[in-house]
Amino acid sequence: MSKPLNELTITEASDLLESGDVSSLDLTTACLDCIKEMDGAIHAFLDVFEQDAIDAANRSDGRRAKGAAEGPLDGIPLAIKDNMLVQGKRCTAGSQILSTHVAASDATVVRKLRDAGAVFLGKTNMDEFAMGSSTEQSAYGPTKNPHDMERVPGGSSGGSAAAVASHMCLGAFGSDTGGSIRQPAALCGIVGFKPTYGRVSRSGLVAMASSLDQIGPMTTSVEDAALLFEAIHGVDPQDQTTSTDAPAFVPAWRDDLTDVRVGLPRQAWGEGMTDEVRDSVMAGVEALKELGATVVDVDLPYADEALAVYYLLMPCEVSANLARFDGMRFGLRNEGVPLFETYAATRAAHLGPEARRRVLLGTYALSRGYYDAYYLKAKKVQTRIRAAYEQAFRDVDVLVTPTTPTTAFRLGEKLSDPLAMYLEDIFTVGVNVAGLPALSLPCGKSAGLPIGMHLVGSWFREADLLAVGRAFESSRT
Amino acid sequence: MPLTREDLKTLADLARLDLPEEELGRMEKDLEAVLGYVDRLQHVDTKDVEPFCMPSRVEGWREDVASMCDEVTRETILSNFPTRKGDLLSVPAVFDKKKGERG
Repeated sequence: MSKPLNELTITEASDLLESGDVSSLDLTTACLDCIKEMDGAIHAFLDVFEQDAIDAANRSDGRRAKGAAEGPLDGIPLAIKDNMLVQGKRCTAGSQILSTHVAASDATVVRKLRDAGAVFLGKTNMDEFAMGSSTEQSAYGPTKNPHDMERVPGGSSGGSAAAVASHMCLGAFGSDTGGSIRQPAALCGIVGFKPTYGRVSRSGLVAMASSLDQIGPMTTSVEDAALLFEAIHGVDPQDQTTSTDAPAFVPAWRDDLTDVRVGLPRQAWGEGMTDEVRDSVMAGVEALKELGATVVDVDLPYADEALAVYYLLMPCEVSANLARFDGMRFGLRNEGVPLFETYAATRAAHLGPEARRRVLLGTYALSRGYYDAYYLKAKKVQTRIRAAYEQAFRDVDVLVTPTTPTTAFRLGEKLSDPLAMYLEDIFTVGVNVAGLPALSLPCGKSAGLPIGMHLVGSWFREADLLAVGRAFESSRT
Repeated sequence: MPLTREDLKTLADLARLDLPEEELGRMEKDLEAVLGYVDRLQHVDTKDVEPFCMPSRVEGWREDVASMCDEVTRETILSNFPTRKGDLLSVPAVFDKKKGERG
């Protein structure tokens, strides 16, 4: 075995654990060593649980020695985005206001992973409350892109993406409200998978925009993404939106794509992407064709409108969800007199600039006289956007676009221009507005920087989507 | 619908954000840009279109019963209070006024 242990895929590591060729302690130590060596420069982690991880690895090895391993994830070292609760550990969501907050319980996703025997290495950096596309909005400083330390890793799950890309963990979890798993996955050259809205419980996820938020895996292979998705999905009484009538997820891998119809949305393939991105993703589409897929142009109206809908609905929900951070029951408090001053001083001092901006925008769109023109209008256009996707999926199985318009941009480049930062999400937000599953896959590089191909599947058809992704991936290696 | 400085002050009050003048100025510019972008929705025909509503389970409500937690969990929840007196959450007085303030 020539590969260092921390560079194995989860699937490979799982096989070696099963055969007894490596221990969870070996894998975990290899990841912790990599973190020690590289994370000073990359800053993917906010907290590393060194001793806990070693203890969990030893327990996993003990189970396995007794023939009582929990399954393929038992002993696999993973990283968790810092907006998901891990009992007894700090959960900041990248915000100063939660800098001292300790989770009293596990998020449902974390509990499921714990039950499956996974080892938690630590919590990863993120844009504050998952609001951003560069991880520069973290109150704890930015994460760097492992491919070029002067560039952003994308966001908001930039810490998880950078940790996976630099092999500090075998896999990680992110959350995706408008592209926050897929965009950093694309910019860091890894696999990022956002499941259908309703597939995965958000109980214990710090809420950003509840009608759009979804948790998903970030990995180095599609098969790994399926493995992690399988472990976390399912109905949860603690999250009413988890679907009870969704078909079971059963991976159905295939080597060729005969009978698969791939749609290229005309509206997305117009202006607004660099030539390198276009060429690289188009080469990816050619590879799908060679695997037997039929590629057709499809009409998918409202691409720009989806971004507009997103940048109304999301801030509205943000303004409501962030109302709880008022310094009363948890988080930091700046006491003033009267009570109003305590609220206003606490929030102004400890919520960052992007959080304040979105709270104001949402407050505006929901205020009397503007509600109909903004919020209600956006909800109506959302209905039309979903209908447009339904129409497209009558004709094709997956839609393909680039994940992002450009490769990773420089630190600071878009920080002073919020709208430019928002336009980063142009190819990814439609999926959240419609509640669809989507996958970002590495499909090439330009000047050393990774490019992501974005595959969108139909509602609850994750198995079909992942099968196309894996066939593509296999054709590349 | 241009935003005025007064509108922004009202919004900041509604959102419980004590923002300095200079930040209100920046926000005015940022929000204008975003509102300019989202304005394109006004051109989408939504006559007779229902606002989207995500279907969620409605097969009854959860029983309204207190669930118990272990001592470690309880102490973690209490330790997250910004200020506490024993096991109670301590908050500022609601009706306190600034010195010299009347009414």
